[in-house]
Amino acid sequence: MFQDYMITFSRYLILFLSVCIIIRCLRSMLREKYEPEIWAYIRCGKEMIPVHHWEATLGRSASADVRIYRDGVSRIHAVLKRYDNGVWKLYDVFGKKKIWVNGQEIGPSGFRLENGTQINMNGVRIRFYNITTTKHNKLESGRTAAGKKFSPAFTLFELTLLQALLVLQHTYSCSADLLYLIAFGFFMVASMQWICYFSMRIINRNGFEPEILSFFLTSLGMSVAASYSPESIMKQIILVVISVVCFLLFGLWLRKLNRISALRTLAAIAAVAFLALNYIAGTVSGGARNWLEIGGITFQPSELVKVAYIYVGASTLDRLYHSKNLFVFIAFSAVCVLALALMGDFGTALIFFICFLIISFMRSGSIATVLLALSGAAMAGAFVFSVRPYVAQRFASWGHVWEDVYNTGYQQTRCMSAAASGGLIGKGAGAGWLKNIVAANTDMVFGVICEELGLIVGLCAIAAILVLAFFAIRSAQSSRSAYYSIAACAAMTILSVQMALNVFGSMDLLPFTGVTFPFVSTGGTSLISCWLMLAYVKGADTRRESSFAVRPIPVIETDLSDEDAPND
Amino acid sequence: MKKIGRRALMLFLIAVMILGGTGVYIFRFIVNGPAWAAYFSRANSGAGGEITDRYGEILARCDATSAVFSDDPETRAACYHVTGDYWDRTGTGLLRRVTGGPSSYDYVTGTTSSTPVNLPLNLDAELNRVALRAIGRDRKGAAMVMNYKTGEILCMASAPTVDPLDGQTIVPDGAFINRCLAATFTPGSSFKLVTAAAAIETVPNIESRSFYCEKEYDIAGVTITCSGTHYTQNFRQALANSCNIAFAQIAVKVGQDEMIRHVENYGFLDNLNLDGITTSAGKYPLEFVGDPELAWSGIGQSTDLVSPFAMLRFVATIANYGTLVTPHLIEQNEPAESQQLMKADTASALRELMLNNVTAHYEPDRNFPGLALGAKTGTAELEGQTSHAWFVGFLDDPDHPYAFVVMIENGGGGLSVAGPVANQILQSAVLRS
Repeated sequence: MFQDYMITFSRYLILFLSVCIIIRCLRSMLREKYEPEIWAYIRCGKEMIPVHHWEATLGRSASADVRIYRDGVSRIHAVLKRYDNGVWKLYDVFGKKKIWVNGQEIGPSGFRLENGTQINMNGVRIRFYNITTTKHNKLESGRTAAGKKFSPAFTLFELTLLQALLVLQHTYSCSADLLYLIAFGFFMVASMQWICYFSMRIINRNGFEPEILSFFLTSLGMSVAASYSPESIMKQIILVVISVVCFLLFGLWLRKLNRISALRTLAAIAAVAFLALNYIAGTVSGGARNWLEIGGITFQPSELVKVAYIYVGASTLDRLYHSKNLFVFIAFSAVCVLALALMGDFGTALIFFICFLIISFMRSGSIATVLLALSGAAMAGAFVFSVRPYVAQRFASWGHVWEDVYNTGYQQTRCMSAAASGGLIGKGAGAGWLKNIVAANTDMVFGVICEELGLIVGLCAIAAILVLAFFAIRSAQSSRSAYYSIAACAAMTILSVQMALNVFGSMDLLPFTGVTFPFVSTGGTSLISCWLMLAYVKGADTRRESSFAVRPIPVIETDLSDEDAPND
Repeated sequence: MKKIGRRALMLFLIAVMILGGTGVYIFRFIVNGPAWAAYFSRANSGAGGEITDRYGEILARCDATSAVFSDDPETRAACYHVTGDYWDRTGTGLLRRVTGGPSSYDYVTGTTSSTPVNLPLNLDAELNRVALRAIGRDRKGAAMVMNYKTGEILCMASAPTVDPLDGQTIVPDGAFINRCLAATFTPGSSFKLVTAAAAIETVPNIESRSFYCEKEYDIAGVTITCSGTHYTQNFRQALANSCNIAFAQIAVKVGQDEMIRHVENYGFLDNLNLDGITTSAGKYPLEFVGDPELAWSGIGQSTDLVSPFAMLRFVATIANYGTLVTPHLIEQNEPAESQQLMKADTASALRELMLNNVTAHYEPDRNFPGLALGAKTGTAELEGQTSHAWFVGFLDDPDHPYAFVVMIENGGGGLSVAGPVANQILQSAVLRS
């Protein structure tokens, strides 16, 4: 009797905690004040215009970051860029030139700006002022710090409590000999999150909400893994550890833009090589040749290629205004999508395609749009052309799954029925029946969550991804470089679309494509790639003292005294 | 960077679409959640139920792993309108009742009915199979058999039909309609039984009156035609001849008010209830129509519409000497209820008339060997279409007290088309018990 009360109580508590975690992260990430950084000033007449990003456009247009509303200045006239070492350079756009610095017309490699450099933009004279470390730090201290109102430690505590409750529920449903293994699994997730948190605190970082949301989803994934195949939970534990370590390393790597660009070509080649290797040596599973087995370890190269795709696809602002770079990207995209279509990995090809649209839209100005649409359509045609019979069958059963419950609608109907039978609060972790069906831990994971933990927790899982997406949109406006903005939005596009295909596919709102739910679905490569993509989101987060993937103190080579700072 | 920030709103669009999709899902969850949960209710609640026929043959079962319906495709099709399917496309299916159904679903905990609900039916699945075979998959029709002493429905088959498990095949037109309960048809001459009942109770000395038929008869300028030329005949012969002219005169004699009273009394105009299934109400001209139209309505034409089930109740009432034992598709634990729907004398008279129909006109030795049959044919004429074939009646046999209705939509002649179907079903029914 006591046990029953405990179970029921814990079900409500899990629901409550999930909602709390989501709401706290949501409010912290989207509601808190968000003042932009200031990196330099442009003086135009009497006006001092702050430069908020490491990359800024100069021009007459209202959409220019530094608006110089004078005759003779083009709508977008030049791009200002700060390098990792604190050096500022000025570039023209589309090779139009008409900019002189110190009487010299600037070349394709840009012109290095010093404090006080005068720039002549087709007759309009402006002056560039750098700011000192002291001044920068002073400005920094005036900004709202991340996690002030909503302490991440408290949210993390709620998450830990939720994990403990999940263990408690599993103790009632799992067999006794597996109990310690399951408890160990959740313990490891909890350890990882606290280790992460304390390392962030050590380097004085407090923006921990993206990680909390991901750990929340990973915990749900751990619960599903414990329900589905508790004996293989050890593998999942190792994967979580690897993923988080990869995430931290990749995040640190993203701090410096010049080393990112140095490896872009290599990443592109690696991505194409991976896909080629996959196509030649891959094993077929569920109609798609997207698995690769090396030394007994199976993995899905396409998952890692997603990360590389964004790595190559995102671009800094100065390169953005040279269309040649875009064509290279289009060619690269075409190769990726075609390779996936040939492998029959329809779901991933679709995700890549949508990601391609987002990246190219964010990159391109109006000129290339038509071209992009054309190449996009050609690519869409290419993968529709390669649609395999099993894909066609999935499309045919879409919307009619209840008419063929024992064949084409097998997974969806079971998913829907199990999800409904969970009601709002669920049957309890490990107490469902959907876990007994093959692929319940990947394609049908949303059904398992809804059945065992209830609709509310299922919706929280959706919300977690959407909150990250909204956060990426918000960060895109204030991140230091266009590279981070594009990368964060592209990463969240992939994760959102993937989630939508998974959830709506299993609930018959979309055709069933068999893609994974980010962070939740069991599967090594998928989990690692999700965490890697989270690093992109972290890279765009420029709230004060928030992200470890953003460099803390600007190193300025020529530290100027306060007197030299522009105040005239 | 401003531009980039603005272009990021593309992702916002995707996020909004996902939010919209989630909204659709929540809506579907609220509307269909109970049905979804019910579908695999045995798995969802740990218990399900079975629909079995009177001999324990499983017609439908709730189970996560095994087939939900009978293993035999013919049985699934023959009993489709009894069991229904998951989506309740027939509207008369009983499946929902054993899967728990909406009433036993709890949105908060998601629990479906946790006690097994077994639904033993009075139905004999074999008779349904025979009926479907006799009607044929290509024809449209309905057949019902009922024990008029106990109220048990032994057969309820409707064609065309579908296999509830086979979602891929093309569904025949109108296959989801249960023609026994959820459809009404022009009754034709079978309706003359109703006119006869009204005449017996309202027209003095009806049985000694005589009627003259010379193929055509004029009422207020409208010509009523008959299928034959019967010359002079009494009431008994007129029914056996199924003479339109005689019954046109009788209907006018009874009058519209009395006709309406009788039609209403026998439940032809009501939405009847069969174990919780609501049936379609029939039609009869209720506004004043004048003699010619009244005459046509008395011979089952005009705007008359009758459901096979209402007709079955009516002939069962006649067969049971005016007392209708409430029909039940589902096995009852309580003793059968009954009601006096018709005067016992009227019913006896009609009973005798129907037995006479068979011996006098239907060639029982050839058409219905060994059956103690009382019946009436109906060939409902339709403009521009082949007639509906009706054959309704009962067995005057204490061991096999069965009332029956057979209707073949656009089938043709009552005796020639519906008769053989009725014979096959009744022969089986007699053999079965």
